Order: sequence, then C-alpha cells, then structure tokens
Amino acid sequence: MVLSSFAPNWFYGYDVVLELFFAIMSLVVAALAFRLYKKTSQRNLALFGTSFLLIGFSYFIQSIINFLIISKVNENICRAIKIQSISSFNNLGLFVHIFFMTIGLSVLIYLTCKQERVRALFLLAFISLLGIFLSKNVVYSFYLFSSIFLVFISWHFISNYLKNKKSNTLVIALAFLFLLFSNIHFIVSVNHQLFYVIGHLLELIAYVLISVNYYLILKK
Amino acid sequence: MTHKRERLEIIHDILKALQNKGGTLKPTHILYKSNLSHQMLTEYLTDLIEKGFITEEEDKKENKFYTITEKGLHFLTDFKVIKNFMESYGLD
Repeated sequence: MVLSSFAPNWFYGYDVVLELFFAIMSLVVAALAFRLYKKTSQRNLALFGTSFLLIGFSYFIQSIINFLIISKVNENICRAIKIQSISSFNNLGLFVHIFFMTIGLSVLIYLTCKQERVRALFLLAFISLLGIFLSKNVVYSFYLFSSIFLVFISWHFISNYLKNKKSNTLVIALAFLFLLFSNIHFIVSVNHQLFYVIGHLLELIAYVLISVNYYLILKK
Repeated sequence: MTHKRERLEIIHDILKALQNKGGTLKPTHILYKSNLSHQMLTEYLTDLIEKGFITEEEDKKENKFYTITEKGLHFLTDFKVIKNFMESYGLD
C-alpha cells in the first residue's frame, strides 16, 4: 500500500531525495506567493500560495514516509507510539500525503477556474476525497483524480501561454504538462515498478522548470 | 493584456505618480497622471485605501489629497517581481 512498494529496490533513497526537492521547491514558491500577497493583497496570490503550501507539505510527508521505510526507523516509531503494525503507520502517512495533495490540487483548480464561491472549493475537495478514500484501491484512485485535476490545471497554463506568448508562461505550461505526464505514469506504476521511476523523473523535469521560472522571476 | 494585469499596471502608475511628486498629490493631479475617467479613478483610489497603499486626508479647506504609504512604496519596489509572478501563473 505504501508508495515505495511501487519502486524498484535500486530506486530506494533516490525517490526520498527527489520528493524532498519537490517539497522544498513547492514551499519556496508558496513563500514567494505569500510574500507578494502581503504586498498586494491580491486574493489569487493567497490561494496560489495555499495550494503550493499544501502540495509542498504533501511531498514532505511522502518523502519522510519513504525515508522511514528504507531506514527501518518506523519500527521504533511504531513501538514508541504503540501502533501494532508498520504497514498501518505507513498507510497513515500515505493517507496524509494523499489528503494534502488532493486539497492542494483542488485549490489550484478552484483558482484556475476563476471561481468566486468558496463553496465550490469545499465541494470539489470533499467529493474528490470521498471518491479516493472510499474506493477499493486508494492509490490508483488518487492518481486518477490528480491526473484529471492536472488536465484542467495544465489547460489553464497552456491558455495562459497562448494568450501571452513569453518564455516564463511557456516554462510553466511545460512544467505542468510534465506533472500531468508523471501522474499518468504513477497510475500505471501500481502494476509496473519502472513507471514509478519514470514518473519521478518527469516530475523532476517539471520542478526544474518551476525552479528556472522562479529564478527568472527574481532575476528580471 | 488582460483585465487584472492592466489593473496592476494602473495601480503602479498611480503609486508611481505619487512617489514622483514627493508622496502626496491632489486627486486632479492623479487623474491627469493615470489617464483614467473620474469614476474609474474613484474606484481605484477606494481600492488602494482599502489595501493600505495610500491614505486620504483633507486640509482646512476640505480639499482631499492622497499620500503613498510604506506598503505602497514596497509595492513599487517589487512591482516587476509581482508582475512576472502573476504573469507566469496566469493569476490575473
């Protein structure tokens, strides 16, 4: 059930580092969005910062859980907090990751669809979480839902590029397309371990592009 | 290009006009510098006061004048970063 169980043995450790990088980059972008929100009071910046904060936190949890799995530290944690089985502990971590990522993507959808009513956001997040956690295969459903979300989010960034053809809008459109492709690979990774690796590599390209854009924003 | 980006640029122009004239201007001068209709300018000034970018005061003859705040000055300093960030992610 845990995410690392989809990874080939040789990839253990690499995924932890990559997820930590995604977490740090998401949190750095969120911090910039909040800093700019403080200066402008633009609601969109606060929402964007919130979505990246949730996504960053989600990656951070994923990275920690995968680290605990390979380091076997979780056996001691389970004994300390009196959880009977390690897999229960790992599943708890996985659910926290899925919970925050789904809400983060829901906020991003809400923002890119230019919705004003907060009820729409709650409805979207609630229905998605219900659909994911009540399904037979939580991980599969999660990647399916997040891929659908990323189709809409990517469409927003592609339209943004078509409206405003500049290098920074292109970089972000490509980054979210790579995130979409990586999620599609994660759907398949439930049955094929190699796709878990490819998914991470595509995600890495996406976050490198987000980092490049971050550098360009501050440089100009 | 889109509504909000223009909006950010108009806010920038109003604040820049205030900064260039020592921080304080009468509404007629702002109107001239920002190239807006009277109604639009009133809306922008109300918004800028609410956001804490400017303050509105009256002299003894009840003439209004506007002063740029510290927050308004910070907006001008970071305008390019704000514009590039919002443009990149289509947050307008």
